[in-house]
Amino acid sequence: MKRIALVLVILAAFGVSGAVAQELSPERKQAIDSLALEKVRDLSKYISIIGSKETPWSEANRVIDRAEELFMQGSEIGVSSLARPEISYYTVRKYFERLMRLNYNKVEISWYNIEYVSDLQRQPDGTYVGVITIFQKFKGYDAEGRLVYQDTTKKDITVYVKRKETQIGGRLIGFWDVLLGDIRVKETTK
Amino acid sequence: MTKFIKLIPKTIMVLLVASLLVGGATSCKSKKKLAKEKAAAEYAMKVDNAKKDLTAIINGSTDWTSDQMADRIAKIKDYNIQDEEVKGLIKQAEAKVEDVRAAEMRKAEEERLRREEEARIRAKQSEFAVIDNQFEAVANANGVDNANNQIQMALQYFETPDIPVLIIISQNGGFNDYDRPTTITKFLNYLKDKKVYKYRVESAKKNGMGKITELELITK
Repeated sequence: MKRIALVLVILAAFGVSGAVAQELSPERKQAIDSLALEKVRDLSKYISIIGSKETPWSEANRVIDRAEELFMQGSEIGVSSLARPEISYYTVRKYFERLMRLNYNKVEISWYNIEYVSDLQRQPDGTYVGVITIFQKFKGYDAEGRLVYQDTTKKDITVYVKRKETQIGGRLIGFWDVLLGDIRVKETTK
Repeated sequence: MTKFIKLIPKTIMVLLVASLLVGGATSCKSKKKLAKEKAAAEYAMKVDNAKKDLTAIINGSTDWTSDQMADRIAKIKDYNIQDEEVKGLIKQAEAKVEDVRAAEMRKAEEERLRREEEARIRAKQSEFAVIDNQFEAVANANGVDNANNQIQMALQYFETPDIPVLIIISQNGGFNDYDRPTTITKFLNYLKDKKVYKYRVESAKKNGMGKITELELITK
C-alpha cells in the first residue's frame, strides 16, 4: 500500500512539473503575442504592396510568394463589397492574384486598429490559437483620379502559433511558427 | 567694663574667621554639586543622542553610508554607556550596518555587471555597425531599384544569399525564443517591403574569408 502511495506521489509530481513546463512565462507569452501581431502587420503591408498599381509586376509576384508563406495551407480570405450582400471566399493565392488585377487605376488599402479579440490560448496539442481583428479601408480610383469605390471592412483573422524545432549549423533551434488561418469578413460599411 | 571692651576686637576676629571658614566650605560644596549635576546632564544628553542615532541607523532613516554608521557606533561604544537599552540598540545597529554593507556591495556588483554589459553591447554594436547600417540603408531606400541596389551591397557581406538568419524575439534566463528562421535574401527583401529595420545584430558566424555564414538578430 505504501509503495502504491509512493508511486502515486511520484506520478503526481511529474504531472505537476509537466504542467508547469507547458506554462509560458508572461514575458515569453507577450513575445509570441507581439510576434503574431507583427505577422498580421506584415500581411497588411504585403496587401498594400500587391494592391498598389505602382508596384512592378515582378515585385508583386515576389510579395505574393512571401504573403502566402504567412498562411496555413488551405486558408481562405473573405471578400465583400457594398454592391452585393454575399461574401466570397478565395484561397490565399487566388485572393492575392485577384487583388493584383483589380480593375482600378489606383488602389489604396490600409489596415488599422489591429488587435486581439481573442487572446492566444493553448490547445491540447500545444498550438496557441487566437483571433486578431482588423479594419481595412479600401479606396479605388479611376483613370481620372476620381475615387469610384470605397469601403471599410472589419475582418477577423485566426492565428496559430506553434513551437517547432529545426537544425541550423548543427544546432537544434527551437522557434515559434506563426501561421495565419482564415480571414473572415465581419461587416462592411461605407 | 574695661575688660569687656578689650574683649570686643578679639570676639569680632573670632567671628570673622568663623564666618570665613563656614562660608568657604559652603561655596566649595555647591561648586562640586554643580560640576556633578553638569556631568550628569552631559551624560544624559550623550545617552539620549546615542539612542537617537542608533534608532535612526536601525530604522534606516539616516543618509549615512555604512562606514559613517560604523564610525558613529564605534564612538558610542567608546562612551562605554552602562545602559541596557543602549547596549541592545548597539547590537541591532551593528546588524543593520552589516545588512547595509551587503546591500551596498550587491548594488556595486550589479552596477559593475551593468557597465560590463553596456561595454559588451557597445563593442558588439561597433563590431556589427557596418551590417546594421547596411540593413538600415535597405529599409530606408527610396524606390524598388535603390532598395535592390542596397540589397546587392548587403549581400557582399554574406557567404551565400541563402545563409540562415535567426531572429530572437525574447531572451529569458539565457534561453532564446526565435521567430521562424529565414534566409538573408528573404530578410533583406522583408526590410525593403516593411521599410523599417527594428533589429540589431546579436551575433554572426564568419568563414575564413570573413564572410558571414550565420546571422543572429534581436528585436530592439
